[in-house]
Amino acid sequence: MTASRTPKIRVDHLGKTYGDKEAFTDLSFDVAEGEIVSIVGPSGCGKTTLLRCVVGLTTPTQGSVSINGQRVLEPIEGVAMVFQHFGLFPWKTVAANVAYGLTVQGVSRRESASKVAELIGLVGLQGFEKAYPHQLSGGMQQRAGLARALAIEPTVLAMDEPFASLDAQTRDVLQLEVLRIWEARPTAMMFVTHSIDEAVLMGDRVVILTGHPSRIFDIVDVDLPRPRNRATVNTDRFRMVRDYVWNAIMKEGHRVVGDPETAARPAPSSH
Amino acid sequence: MKDTTRSAGAPQATPAVGSASAPPPSAEPAPRAWYRRPLVVRVVAGLLILAIWQIVVELWAQDYVARPTGVIRVIPSVLTEKLFLSDIVTTLTAVVEGLAIAVVIGTAIGLVVGRLPDAQRVLGMYVNGVYALPIIAVVPLLTVWFGYTPKARLAVIVLEATLPVVYNVAEGARAVPRTYLDVTRIHRAPWWRVWFGVALPASTPYVLAGIDLAIGRALIGAVVAEFIAALDGLGYYILFNVNSFHEDRAIVALVVLALSAIVLRALVNVVVRRGFSWYWLA
Repeated sequence: MTASRTPKIRVDHLGKTYGDKEAFTDLSFDVAEGEIVSIVGPSGCGKTTLLRCVVGLTTPTQGSVSINGQRVLEPIEGVAMVFQHFGLFPWKTVAANVAYGLTVQGVSRRESASKVAELIGLVGLQGFEKAYPHQLSGGMQQRAGLARALAIEPTVLAMDEPFASLDAQTRDVLQLEVLRIWEARPTAMMFVTHSIDEAVLMGDRVVILTGHPSRIFDIVDVDLPRPRNRATVNTDRFRMVRDYVWNAIMKEGHRVVGDPETAARPAPSSH
Repeated sequence: MKDTTRSAGAPQATPAVGSASAPPPSAEPAPRAWYRRPLVVRVVAGLLILAIWQIVVELWAQDYVARPTGVIRVIPSVLTEKLFLSDIVTTLTAVVEGLAIAVVIGTAIGLVVGRLPDAQRVLGMYVNGVYALPIIAVVPLLTVWFGYTPKARLAVIVLEATLPVVYNVAEGARAVPRTYLDVTRIHRAPWWRVWFGVALPASTPYVLAGIDLAIGRALIGAVVAEFIAALDGLGYYILFNVNSFHEDRAIVALVVLALSAIVLRALVNVVVRRGFSWYWLA
């Protein structure tokens, strides 16, 4: 397959207004095939709303979103999502939940069985196929949510603060797990988070949202080698990018070094 | 993968190593005093209530007021009376029939009212009105339409039992967590998968609550219908025996009525809890 010049996701001057309250305005960026773009900003900056506009769950009031060149007005084929609160159906087993996307497409249980088994193995839930969500920990439920998203072989993966409901240790573990799983089948991914460290660790580029209404402050190239690991967060490059993003978002008094105007914007490194 | 899983079994006791305060392993727990055993306490409390009833009536009430000793004396003859036994069957069969119809109709209406906000706005007022009606006022009308027949009783039961189911199913359908609906929308699931595959299972706890309420109202409806339409059944048995000064027999029937309510509700609980592990669709 030839590499296409058309970006997987194109966000074009996107804006969303609720009544007389403008959530965000004039957002424009692309996500290329096989790229992870993190979206980070202060609480309430509309990043989840942005993600919902991209996948078609919410309709923007200005601008447009295109996936594979096709305008997104409602959920389309090939777009999968992982939710902050997992969204597993409690009356279905793990296997049935993972198979849900295929079931809706009309794939019989026999046909989907092998794909479901493969994905359950990939996310590390072997042995829990017949368990119910309430019997699993939060981290395991989110693994199942990821498996469900991957089952439909999406071309675009949307992650809405997927680790926000998990404890810190599980969160750290799952960050690298998701990256490991993503390496197996790199998919264009939009990763929304309020953790700056997480945004830098996960993403190839970081979209920084600030202001009222939110606008794109900057889009930074993370430029760290893959596969990433726990040691990555201790590298100078990581710290440099993270500090830049932090300063951009935080108000005076919380900034790390000076302010965004004077602190150096991380140039693409030699990697 | 080193995720910690929630263990399904009980936590294991950690042995106290060389601790002076640990009880010697061979000692048995001391037998609990009678007042610490729940079953014994309940039985004692029940006997106490009966004793108080007996004493109060003996000392201060008229001769014809029923007392526990009188009731207990007639229990054997009532429980073997053919009429009594057939009355139980008649009434309970009608209640179960009516409940089944009510659950089906109620769930259907409840789903519609819950998922279509317009239906809510239009029908809500009427549903509230009928729900608030005292059934005793409606029964005479129903006996005119259905005659003094068991059909009238069934109609009353269905009317009384449907509304709590509608209310609770509507509440459940309305309260489907947004994330579930997001999942169905992302996967572009058709409407029937959303209604029957998600909204219905998600409202199962609400359906259970609705049926619970419906059982109570169904029994009331059955008894009231029997009173007013003079239909053979447990309710009429009670009325008849009270009117012919056989209160003791009536009280036995009353107790049986109360027990059937308890048993029905317990049965529903068991059946619907099992139902949680069924899939509704795929």
